[in-house]
Amino acid sequence: MRYVIPTMGTVASMEAPAGAETVLGDIRSMLDDVEARFSLYRDDSELSRVASGELQLMNSSAELRRSYADALLWRNATRGAFTPNRPDGVVDLNGIVKAEAIAATGSILDAAGLPWWTVNIGGDLLTRGSDPRGFAWTIGIVDPADSTAQLCAITLDGTRRAVATSGTLERGDHLWLGSSAGSGDFVQVTVVADDIVAADVLATAIAAGGAEALDDATARWSVDVLTVDRVGALMATPGIRSALAA
Amino acid sequence: MRTRAALTGVFASLGLVIIGWQFGGAALSGGTTSLGFTTTSAGGAGVETGSSSPASSTSSGAVSGTFLGASESTRFGNVQVQVVVASGTITDVVAVQLTDDDGRSVQISNRAAPILRSEVLQAQSANVSNVSGATYTTDAYLASVQSALDQAGL
Repeated sequence: MRYVIPTMGTVASMEAPAGAETVLGDIRSMLDDVEARFSLYRDDSELSRVASGELQLMNSSAELRRSYADALLWRNATRGAFTPNRPDGVVDLNGIVKAEAIAATGSILDAAGLPWWTVNIGGDLLTRGSDPRGFAWTIGIVDPADSTAQLCAITLDGTRRAVATSGTLERGDHLWLGSSAGSGDFVQVTVVADDIVAADVLATAIAAGGAEALDDATARWSVDVLTVDRVGALMATPGIRSALAA
Repeated sequence: MRTRAALTGVFASLGLVIIGWQFGGAALSGGTTSLGFTTTSAGGAGVETGSSSPASSTSSGAVSGTFLGASESTRFGNVQVQVVVASGTITDVVAVQLTDDDGRSVQISNRAAPILRSEVLQAQSANVSNVSGATYTTDAYLASVQSALDQAGL
C-alpha cells in the first residue's frame, strides 16, 4: 500500500503493508509537530519566532534545542561544510529536521511491527526490510537535468537503508559555505548510508563543500556517493558502482 | 596520523598479497588453487563469499577475473586486497578492508572516482518504487517521478 501525506512544504510518500493505516494518524501528528516547530516559511513556527528575535533560543523548546545541538555537532564533524547558521544569521534546521522526521516516521512504522516499509520525504528516503517481492529495494536517482527522468537505479544491500540527494539547481538557498554560496563543483549529490541523518547531512555538506568535502566524507564515513557536476560528468564511489541496478 | 598508518598498512600488505597472488597464479596454471582466493565474475565489483577456483575466461587460457586475497592480519589491522586480472596481467590492486583502532571495519579505498555516464545510464530499472532527488517543494514534487509513482500506487 502507498500512503501520501503533504508535509513541510513537500510530500511524504510511504509504502507499507496493509495495516499501516493504524499508525497513519500518529505519523501525521508527528509531522505536523515538526512543521509547526521548524518551518521557516510559516511565520508562526517556533523557529521563525527565534529567527525574528521574538523568542530567545535559550527559551525555546527542548526539541528545538536538541535539533540545533545535533546540527552543530554535524557542523563540527563536517568542518563547517554543513551548517545550520545561514549567512544572514538565521538558524535554519531544514538540513536536519527532515531527516530526523524520516527517522521518526520509520520508528513509528517499526513500533507497529511492520516488516517492510519505505519513507520518502522530499526525495530523501529510508527503507526497512526488502520489497514485497522479497528483493532488495531498488531506488531510482533522478536526473538533475530532467526531474521526470531516472539517471540510474541502485539496489540497497546489506546495512544500506538510506538515500539522500542534495541539489544546487532546484533550490540553492539550502546550501551555504561561510558567507559564500555553495562551491559549485556539483549540481547533484546522492549519498547512500545506513542512517538517514548521516546520508542527508553529508549530501548537503558535499553539495556545499565540493570536491574537498566529497573526499573528506568518503574517507571518514561509511557512505557511498554519486555526484553530477555542471557539465553532467559523474563520479562514484566503489559502493555505488556495485549497487548500480543490473 | 591514522591516514599514514593506514597507508603503511596497505603497502605492507600489498607485498604480502601480491606474493600470494603469484603463488596463486602458479597454482592456477596447474589447474588447482590452494591459497583460499575467492573469485567474482570478471568486471563485477561485488565480492562473493566462498572459495572457488577462478575460471579461465579467455580462449588463450590466461586468467581473467577479480580475486579477493585472504584477510591478512598486520600490526595496523586486518587488510584484505582485491586484484583485478585481465588475461593474466594484474590491472588493478585495491585494498578493500582495514580494521581501525576501535575494531571497526573501514573501507580505505572509498574515494569517488570518475565513472562513465554510459555505465551509470544503463543502470535503469522498471522495479523502482521510490526516487531520490532534490525535490524540496510541493511544485517540484508534483513534476517528479515520485509523484507519478505515488499516483500509480494509489
